[in-house]
Amino acid sequence: MPKMTYSLALGRRGALKSLALTGAALAVLLSMAPSAKADILADVKAAGVLKTGTEMQFPPFDMIEGGEYIGLNRDLIDEVGKEMGLKVEYQDLPWTSVLPGLEAGKFDLVIAPVTITKERMERYGFTVPIANATAAMMKKTGDDSIMKPEDIVGKTVGGGKGTSQLAQVKDYAATLGGEVSFNEYVDSNQSYADLAAGRVDVSVNSLPNLSYAASQRPETFTVVLPPFGKPTFFSWVTRKGEADDSLREAVSAALVAISADGRMAKIQEKWLGQAVDLPTEVPAPSF
Amino acid sequence: MDYDLFLRYGPSLLRGFGMTILCWAAGTALGMLIGFLLALARRLPIPGLSWVLRAYIEVVRGTPFLVQLFLLYSGGPFIGIRLDATTAGIVGLGIYGSAYFAEIFRGGFAAVPKGYVEAAESLALPPGAILRRVVVPTMLISILPALVNMMIILTKETVVLSILTVPELMYEAQTMAAETFAAFETIFVMALFYWLLVEVVSRLGRRAERKLTSHLTQKAGAVS
Amino acid sequence: MNWDVVTRNLPYLLEGTVMTIAVSLAGILVGQVLGAFICVGRISGGRVGETLGAVYVSFFRGVPLLIQLLLIYYMLPLVGIDVPPLVAAVGALGLASSAYVSEIYRGSLLAIPHGHGEAALALGFSEGSIWRRILLPQAFRLSVPALVNELILLLKASSLISVVGVAELTRVSQSVASSTYRPLEAYMAAGAIYLIINGALALLGVLVERRLARS
Repeated sequence: MPKMTYSLALGRRGALKSLALTGAALAVLLSMAPSAKADILADVKAAGVLKTGTEMQFPPFDMIEGGEYIGLNRDLIDEVGKEMGLKVEYQDLPWTSVLPGLEAGKFDLVIAPVTITKERMERYGFTVPIANATAAMMKKTGDDSIMKPEDIVGKTVGGGKGTSQLAQVKDYAATLGGEVSFNEYVDSNQSYADLAAGRVDVSVNSLPNLSYAASQRPETFTVVLPPFGKPTFFSWVTRKGEADDSLREAVSAALVAISADGRMAKIQEKWLGQAVDLPTEVPAPSF
Repeated sequence: MDYDLFLRYGPSLLRGFGMTILCWAAGTALGMLIGFLLALARRLPIPGLSWVLRAYIEVVRGTPFLVQLFLLYSGGPFIGIRLDATTAGIVGLGIYGSAYFAEIFRGGFAAVPKGYVEAAESLALPPGAILRRVVVPTMLISILPALVNMMIILTKETVVLSILTVPELMYEAQTMAAETFAAFETIFVMALFYWLLVEVVSRLGRRAERKLTSHLTQKAGAVS
Repeated sequence: MNWDVVTRNLPYLLEGTVMTIAVSLAGILVGQVLGAFICVGRISGGRVGETLGAVYVSFFRGVPLLIQLLLIYYMLPLVGIDVPPLVAAVGALGLASSAYVSEIYRGSLLAIPHGHGEAALALGFSEGSIWRRILLPQAFRLSVPALVNELILLLKASSLISVVGVAELTRVSQSVASSTYRPLEAYMAAGAIYLIINGALALLGVLVERRLARS
């Protein structure tokens, strides 16, 4: 079979062409906008189901214990579902694919707690706040060199890359007039692991996240009080665009109703230890 | 799609791509070196050694890279091994690759006809020269496709280094995603860059394959 | 070390393990069948078969599995094709695996002496039966070590299917790590489970190799 030897020596032009062709095909596929729908809220109501997505690795907001989804967000979205007369479905995804899932229409609401920033607002819609996201610090238990936020001068700070908390600690460090170094993580859990391993001296995140971490491993983690950040808040996220406005407004209205009758305060006390008043409007992004 | 993003994040993505190539090249080289030494050591007539090396290979091959890297980087400091992120990434990649490379080289040694070595010995070539000039060139022919396959697999394992804050392509792309929430653009950029790297590696592999086998294919076509 | 978090979450970890095994097995099956077809198509399909095969292998071997999964699960809906998570997971694993498998078979076919095919042709075998009865069985036997390597790699690559929402072993161990803040324990448990499964796979490979060597 002489054919065999011939075809086993692979054509070089073939590979080049395939690269160009598939690259072009990818670009075309990616440029296609999701097909425009008339009104998402009407569709959701007709189906009776509100589909949501989040990454269930963000305690105390979203986590899985023994195979069951629990956390502040779970309790809150269940109340929102009751308020709107809808059954709620949740999907657990790594953060990499939560926003693609939203854009692809696999679900209509992201219930991961997201801090509002100007840049993010250009691509997505935000509900009214669901929790306080004020930035704070956590140190290793027994580290007496850090007793207050100012003590980070000369230390190494770990935080989530691209998060509002990291941006805030950088602004804050600049006001202290000393050298502060930063380690930036794509995964906040790894920042805690490096705090335990001694690679960073403090981890920065929102106060609710840190308080919960410290309560779970008090022998390793201690929160540095008071929180140093400006008051900021977490919200939920929808697609941007007219079709999605009605859903976002309905969810916001449900959240406001839940705040007004005290259910929100109960959920906050259960997961955060204390209740905080939340704005009833979508706040303007601070950075 | 938001094409402005590619302009804004272009420099950092390119830097990340450079870091990816660096970590991959260093990790692959280290892995090949350790793998080759492992395969050589397994041929030594020392009792128990082969068994220990076999255990090493099975453990490294049998567990995910993510788990190994995490244990090395975050578990290491508890037993006195403290590496910075990039070093840990390269060492981790080298260890991970070494187990697979060791198995490939083992197969390569087995495929070298005994007669070649005996002929070289009868010519009074020293053992080092036999290895360098007879055994290695002969085995390379039969194991080259498998080596290239493994090198390609390692290019893609480098994405795991991002969790250690190694500023490689995945890390920079995730940064772009976190700051702008531009999810699709991120996927697109990563697909193109990794594909480019793999395409280059497999072309170099094919060129090497042709060079090594040119004296064979013209006559018979059968290689190994 | 606090092994309590592992024992407490063991049923959940085992659920993830079952998912990992099930999806990997299905992916392997798809990959083996598709891979054999692609290899045959590239070698006997003329110029068209060769070019199509080369493009296929280049794409599915070249683009990281993570990206392929994202493309299948999140991009196809944009053009009106909605794929359920498990189908996307098995499909992506199978497609990627088939590219590697077809290359492994191609390498093995190279090693079969040409005389075998020519002798069969001279004896009047049809092209189909030459493939089915002479070339592919031999290629399979030569491929066993490389195929076992590929199976182990696929099993570990299956950790990526969590991006389409399938909770497999790695994802489950990450969830345990994050809810208990004990990543070392959670990852060591996951590593041990992977090691057991892959040990079994490697053993199976050795048995198959011995069995084939005897015949």
